[in-house]
Amino acid sequence: MNKKIFIALALILVFCGSALSQTGVKKKRPLPYEYGRVIIDNYSDKANLAPVVFEHWIHRSMFTCRVCHVDVGFAMKAGATGITAADNARGYYCGTCHNGKRVVDGKTVFQACSRKVNLEDEKRCVRCHSYGEKVASDFDFFKFSEPLPKERFGNGLDWEKSEELGLIKPASFLEGVSTSKGNAFVVQKDFALNPKVEGMPDIIFSHKKHTVWNGCELCHPEIFMGVKKGTVRYSMVDISQGKSCGVCHTTVAFPLTDCQRCHSKPVS
Amino acid sequence: MFKAKFKAKIIAVLLFMGLVGLCGMRAIGGPQSSAAQADHPAHETWRKEFDDVCSKTQDAMTFSQEELTDLIRRCDALLPQIKKLDESQKKVYMGRLRMCRGLYAYVLDAKRNEKK
Repeated sequence: MNKKIFIALALILVFCGSALSQTGVKKKRPLPYEYGRVIIDNYSDKANLAPVVFEHWIHRSMFTCRVCHVDVGFAMKAGATGITAADNARGYYCGTCHNGKRVVDGKTVFQACSRKVNLEDEKRCVRCHSYGEKVASDFDFFKFSEPLPKERFGNGLDWEKSEELGLIKPASFLEGVSTSKGNAFVVQKDFALNPKVEGMPDIIFSHKKHTVWNGCELCHPEIFMGVKKGTVRYSMVDISQGKSCGVCHTTVAFPLTDCQRCHSKPVS
Repeated sequence: MFKAKFKAKIIAVLLFMGLVGLCGMRAIGGPQSSAAQADHPAHETWRKEFDDVCSKTQDAMTFSQEELTDLIRRCDALLPQIKKLDESQKKVYMGRLRMCRGLYAYVLDAKRNEKK
């Protein structure tokens, strides 16, 4: 009898194990204020500092994606930029704005890293190097999001509508850094893409909506390299693994769980 | 006589120390900022050209094949100058140039493809 129970338990374990290895373990859905958060730990640990906590929501409310990912030069993949304190102190990457001089929304932006650090500076360091530390932020997500139109997933906000309503005004130009105002893009008209699954509404892709914040070179050719429509096949598996649309729509922009925002063509 | 010799020695030592100090600052990189570098005439030339070439990406779709080819050529000409910049600047501008050149090449490919 005991032997039978043992065999049955062993079989259950084998099946569960193989099922889990196929599907992976379900990830915890981030809370609205955590969505888009990036933990940067290139060299912090070696310098005896806590890793940097970067909040996308604060920054995207003030600047378009293009300003940071094209003009300032941040890579699209977390950790790929290889930011150093020396880069920041020289006035690049975070130091482009966080230099103690640049004024954004009437406030002087605090300096990120400096060559000489004294005891007073430690308070400044922990404003970014705050992972695992109890640091009070100047920005309160709930206060910030209160007047903005809501959505179901991601940050729980409709960023596009927020801009349309003039509730946020992300700047598309950074003095001394940007090469163009980036606000009058000549682009293709919106087009429909047929999904592979029957009965699923078509995807309406709008170049216009995407270029307003991203410009052209952020996506082409590094994320979308196909020049002829229909030559590259996109799949939800690839997208969910962070390829093509998934570069932004699994990390910062509304997530893949918000199906009907892309599969938006009414089924006739 | 002794006083004059002593004075000359002190001046020589001070000059030597000043020179060593200056060399040291150069060797460790010294305090510098992107703004300070941009003011240097040699840097200004590449930066002006970079700004001019890469400020046109939003109009890439409107350019002819000849215009796009010329923009790509100008991007390629900028590369050796950007490679000479300090580590931080090189990292930033190599990336920016890659994206800018990449887009022109991508649009050029698309236009050539359209004609086929």
